[in-house]
Amino acid sequence: MVAPALILVILVTLWPVAQSFYNSLFDYRLTDPSRSERFTQSNIDLERYATEYFYISRDLEDLSAQAPDEEAAQTVNDIQTEIEAFHSDLLAMDGLEEQYAEVDELIASFTAISDRDLKYARVDNDWAEEYKDFLASSNEDLVALSEDASEEAFSNTAGNVAGTVDTINSAVIESNFIGFSNYSRYLQDSRMWQSLLNTFIFTIASVSVELVLGLAIALLINRVFIGRGVVRASVLIPWAIPTAVAAMMWGFLYDGQTGIVAHYFEQFGLINDASVLLSTANGGMFSVIFADVWKTTPYMALLLLAGLQTIPGSLYEAAEVDGAGKWQQFWKVTLPLLKSAILVALLFRTLDAFRVFDLIYVLTGGGPANSTESISIYAYITLFSQQNFGAGSVLSVIVFLCVALISILFIKFIGSDLFEGRSR
Amino acid sequence: MNKRAGIGFYIFLVVFVFFVMFPFIWVFLTSIKPPGEIFNNFNWFTANPSLDSYENAISRRPLFRYMLNSFVVSTLTTIIAIGFASIAAYALTRLPIKFKGLILGIILAASMFPQIAIISPIYNFVSDMGLRNSYMGLVIPYITISLPLSIWILATFFKKIPWELEESAKLDGATPFQTFRKIIFPLAAPGVFTTGILVFIAAWNEYLFALTINTADSWRTVPVGISFYQSQFTIPWGDISAATVIVTIPIVILVLIFQRRIVAGLTSGSVKE
Repeated sequence: MVAPALILVILVTLWPVAQSFYNSLFDYRLTDPSRSERFTQSNIDLERYATEYFYISRDLEDLSAQAPDEEAAQTVNDIQTEIEAFHSDLLAMDGLEEQYAEVDELIASFTAISDRDLKYARVDNDWAEEYKDFLASSNEDLVALSEDASEEAFSNTAGNVAGTVDTINSAVIESNFIGFSNYSRYLQDSRMWQSLLNTFIFTIASVSVELVLGLAIALLINRVFIGRGVVRASVLIPWAIPTAVAAMMWGFLYDGQTGIVAHYFEQFGLINDASVLLSTANGGMFSVIFADVWKTTPYMALLLLAGLQTIPGSLYEAAEVDGAGKWQQFWKVTLPLLKSAILVALLFRTLDAFRVFDLIYVLTGGGPANSTESISIYAYITLFSQQNFGAGSVLSVIVFLCVALISILFIKFIGSDLFEGRSR
Repeated sequence: MNKRAGIGFYIFLVVFVFFVMFPFIWVFLTSIKPPGEIFNNFNWFTANPSLDSYENAISRRPLFRYMLNSFVVSTLTTIIAIGFASIAAYALTRLPIKFKGLILGIILAASMFPQIAIISPIYNFVSDMGLRNSYMGLVIPYITISLPLSIWILATFFKKIPWELEESAKLDGATPFQTFRKIIFPLAAPGVFTTGILVFIAAWNEYLFALTINTADSWRTVPVGISFYQSQFTIPWGDISAATVIVTIPIVILVLIFQRRIVAGLTSGSVKE
């Protein structure tokens, strides 16, 4: 009975992580047609190749006929012979003749090919490399012919044919598997380290402030009083509203012109100028942390309060009889008994803070000058603004590894406490 | 710890609640100011309250459409996730299964996966299925996020249900599925409901997937829609305040009605009893 859910969990979480890792090993960009797929082997885009091949023979013949001298005509003829030779090599490959014919037919009827298996075909790696080299040098030869030619018609045709040769070149796709070079690139990337550092600063600062404040609040409200419901509701609302909405609200409160918080901070002399909060690096980081503290301290207090309420009152009575002061009671009774609740709350909060995205993305956009950019935001920008899935996946994997490392450290501290009583 | 609450305590409480609620109070007060007044003073109260900002907020952007999208996506996510999760959690807490600790560990770990680590394959998957700018395009990834968490919380609730009832059902010849449906489910319903609220709120609040997958304006959800009120050159704070108030109201109602359950759900996963 557990199987369907477990399979679903594995399918929707573990599989994408594995995919992200796989993507990170490729030079994989959605914007570049020759890199928009992941190929471990050389391939050919038959649709593009067949379309261009249809024209190239005729074009080269025309060009040869127009040639001003014997030498130019010879160059063009050589290129044509070679391209035809490569073409027959291609068709001689396993199953390619049939596939090529099928693609050719579809092109003749102006049908776009959406089936990937039909559109791309595996080709011999050496063939692809040689062909690409040859096409590149032919392109140079043709461009040179075009530039040297005195006759305008010949120059234009040569230029066009050079373009066609170039397109054929881009239809032959060499493997874009690049192994770990994406990783070595990012390990030397200062923006990556800066964003990682920002993420750590944000996580450590916000989680520690939240822990101290949350514990203080939990201790204070752990008593009987009138209006518990009001307090509980007011504590839950910041937690329950969408982070993006909270970020918009704080963006308004911090605004240099109309922001009331910025205004009061300036009035009380905490900052020199109301615009400091969102336009300087330190101000930006402070703003983001402060907003996060506002949103999640209540949640922390709630978790710790629940932990406090499981400590039996008799322990405090016993401590009092033994002559322990309030302070001693806190250190000797409360903290040790609250340890597992604190560690669990810290684990949840740390992992949550480490993957921070929406708060910063909406509030500062990672600015000013990337000074509040978290690693998740950097990954998002690389993945979706630059459409560079290979490089962006590296950043995703880095986030994943950091989160895994943090979890392992915490689990070592918590030990098996977390699973105790649940696993039986 | 049954300390008596004194007057000082209540003063602290009022100050505390005021600080927590301050952003909401200020945003509400801003939303009823005439738009011109927002930019030239810091007065708390306006002499001429107006609903202009509200009118702008719903006419300049399809705010109600965003709310409908969020509602549909969150409801579907909640129903599907809870359906799968309650069966799994029941099995994990009750049936003799090997490696329960390990399975729960994997589930907990999965609930903490950073979304950014899984977004690009999920984006590719959703694009390949042609589900971008649709409800299912968001529901599928949301189940990703909520399923592990709901299994984890539900497992805690199910553990509190006494074994004896099940034993006697077994003696009377009920199959495990019958036991689940007739005995466990009615007893577990409050826990299931609580988990449902948490899943619903989580889905309602999600930003990253909604931002990348549903890029067409009419398919945006509330969090993404709100963040697009600011244009490159102007920030219409009046509209934003009004929109914030409108989208916060349903959540405030939800919290007011279900606050006890929410607290129970939040703390159940983290505190041993």
